[in-house]
Amino acid sequence: MRLCALRLSLPVLVVSIVVSGALSLTACGDRESNVVQGNRAGILHAGNGTEPQGLDPHVVTGVTESNIVTALFEGLVTKNPYTLEPEPGVAQRWDVSDDGLTITFHLNPAAKWSNGDPTTAQDFVWSWQRALNPAMGNQYAYMLYPVQNAEAYATGKLDDFSNVGVKALDDHTLQVRLNAPTPYFLQLMDHYSTYAVHRPTIEKFGKATDRFTPWTHAGNLVGNGPFTLKEWRLNRRIIVEKSDTYWDKDRVQLSGIEFYPAENISSEERMFRVGQLHYSYTVPLDKIPVYRAMEDSPYVNAPYLGTYFYLLNTTKPPLDDVRVRQALSLAVDRERLNNTVLHGTNVPAYGITPPGTLGYQPPRVFDYDVEKARKLLAEAGYPDGAGWPGLELTYNTSESHLKIAVALQQMWKDALNIDVTLANQEWKVYLDSIDQMSFQMARRGWIGDYVDPNNFLDLFLCDGGNNNTGFCDPEYDDMILQQAPRAASREERYRIFNAAETRLMEQMPIIPIYTYTSNHLVHPSVKGKPSNLMDYVNYKYISLDPDWQAAQ
Amino acid sequence: MSAPLITDIAQAEQGTSLWRDAWLRLRRNRLAVLGLAVLCFFVLVALLTPWIAPYGYAQQNLELGATPPSAAHWLGTDIFGRDLLTQIMYGGRVSLAVGFIATAVALVIGVTWGAIAGYAGGKLDAAMMRLVDILYALPFMIFIVLLMVVFGRNMLLLFLAIGAVEWLTMARIMRSQVQSLRQQEFVEAAISLGLSPATIIRRHLVPNALGPIIVYTTLTIPSVMLLEAFLSFLGLGVQPPQTSWGLLISYGAESLEEYPWLLLYPGLALTLTLFSLNFLGDGLRDALDVRGAKD
Repeated sequence: MRLCALRLSLPVLVVSIVVSGALSLTACGDRESNVVQGNRAGILHAGNGTEPQGLDPHVVTGVTESNIVTALFEGLVTKNPYTLEPEPGVAQRWDVSDDGLTITFHLNPAAKWSNGDPTTAQDFVWSWQRALNPAMGNQYAYMLYPVQNAEAYATGKLDDFSNVGVKALDDHTLQVRLNAPTPYFLQLMDHYSTYAVHRPTIEKFGKATDRFTPWTHAGNLVGNGPFTLKEWRLNRRIIVEKSDTYWDKDRVQLSGIEFYPAENISSEERMFRVGQLHYSYTVPLDKIPVYRAMEDSPYVNAPYLGTYFYLLNTTKPPLDDVRVRQALSLAVDRERLNNTVLHGTNVPAYGITPPGTLGYQPPRVFDYDVEKARKLLAEAGYPDGAGWPGLELTYNTSESHLKIAVALQQMWKDALNIDVTLANQEWKVYLDSIDQMSFQMARRGWIGDYVDPNNFLDLFLCDGGNNNTGFCDPEYDDMILQQAPRAASREERYRIFNAAETRLMEQMPIIPIYTYTSNHLVHPSVKGKPSNLMDYVNYKYISLDPDWQAAQ
Repeated sequence: MSAPLITDIAQAEQGTSLWRDAWLRLRRNRLAVLGLAVLCFFVLVALLTPWIAPYGYAQQNLELGATPPSAAHWLGTDIFGRDLLTQIMYGGRVSLAVGFIATAVALVIGVTWGAIAGYAGGKLDAAMMRLVDILYALPFMIFIVLLMVVFGRNMLLLFLAIGAVEWLTMARIMRSQVQSLRQQEFVEAAISLGLSPATIIRRHLVPNALGPIIVYTTLTIPSVMLLEAFLSFLGLGVQPPQTSWGLLISYGAESLEEYPWLLLYPGLALTLTLFSLNFLGDGLRDALDVRGAKD
């Protein structure tokens, strides 16, 4: 039998290739694999987690959505995938005033929408109004809060958008006034919630603030990114093709990308192995030791700006008692979990901020301590689990979430003698549960949108769109919103962040579990996709080596 | 001389009742007896599991992780270091309970419904069978999901919900059987004796339709067990740390390449049960088919 995938050296894998090869003859057999075909045609086949919730940059929140949205749209700046430094996007260049409060973006006159209309400064003003409009319900509206009066407008305190600090000086000049010097503002301009959207298209399919109108469907969507949406088949794939109107199209080397939602990560790994994917969204835990041991392994593991944690609903008993929350957190043996079930692929977390975020180190407020956890639980009225009312842990359907949940369920049973039941939900149902806080304890992951501790700490502001715990501490809000942005130096700023994070972890509205690392399988023919802290992909940089097959 | 002879004959006829006859025939079918023995063994193990299981069913040993079969763990362990044999034993309790309880529910509803419809005929029959048609047309998944959403996650309810979906075919089979039996002389005789319809159905019609019903029942049990596995996988059935064969198999299938025993042994347990049920069903069909056997 002809094998059409990577030749893996380990005997276990050789056997398994034969087995899975036999199972996937239709995909393999005598036909060329996606990878071989894709390398010739310049089509990238990318594994992409779950089916996206949508493609509207002002609505979506997930990583899978962002992977597609960044192909279809472009912000004022983009990032260099090697250094994560800002690079020109729609804005050719930008000037920052001496006091750091005014930024002037000079837009590229060649920047166009995919229907040929020019991308103008007015487009950004209108789009930011849409992104900030309270009726939009944009969870990432706070990304624009550094802009003057943006927060007041987004929270309904201000009705007149002309008072918000963004102005089109002419078609190609956008002036932004900020509340305070914001060291990370340019990083935000690469986030999809600050992208411009095409006004006529949106208004054709509904009001500006309607969520989930058909404007994002294939054939309707007008974007300004390096690719345009060609086909969207629910739960099958999303195909984008190179845009003719993109200003920097000469640098785009791919002629298209196909995104595959692979909710089952084992089948995604099989797809990669039989040459259906150029890279995988993630790697099943069980497979990591095998891939690690390989020569010329396609396995890529890199530190990642993200934290895996459990949200605790502090508005419902028994988690409205801080002692119960602390007991649950203290009883989790993170080192043991990481070394066994997680195969040592991650870093145990004791705070919300990943360690080493541009030099910031989170405080260590607590340790694994079963004795203390038992004492806290007894003080809360459940000595040795007596009278425990039960607790439900909600997670979105996925093998790795299940494994962690099962291991923790037993740790809590052993340490505290309490029962925790598990409830898995499909991704969209799960997101709804989180939004409406109709859970007791829920799995959550947070991936940094820009490299700064602020991005993790401002989650738990009283009115943070992704707070979802009921945690609210005015002093904490003041530190994050008022004190930190006005700090004189980076050291001073980090000291304030550290104090705020200490307050947060003492109240324990979340149980941090681990800091993410990115895990991918990357085919050797893929060039220009370096690992970086944000697992950021700039599709402009990616190329495929058409001679890869011949070289084998 | 003639009087004793009559009693002899009467005794002989009493000795070969339908059931005794069937049992004798079934005993001659080796596969069916083997199937019955395996089933009895599984049921016995399931009943005794809390006392004979080698480990606690949720007892983890994370440091041990997944190990192949060994002296300490006869069937190996899963990634949490839980003993697979124990898992299979506890999973069997759920799977067998679902199989038998849900099928019993389906049997009771289906047979009653079909027999009444078939015996009554006319408008009542039409109305009852149209309801069956309508329920057939409902996607059964939506029906079950709806039941689970309305009544919450509850294992007994899961059994009932599956049973409530599986009775439709049973009702149709029963109805067609009763329709053909109703035309026969012994039913007319019963009617002319003045027996109530309920008695006629209970005493005369149901026993005569048992053959196909029993066969269909043995086919329903495995399909119900698979349905439970499917529902559990979707998060609607049993949830960890509780387990069932279906769940064990779906987890095993995910790590087929690294830890094949996690799929092999639960799969073996389910397969053995299904085979046993099929052999037993075949045997019962032959044994209960009076016409076929007496020729």
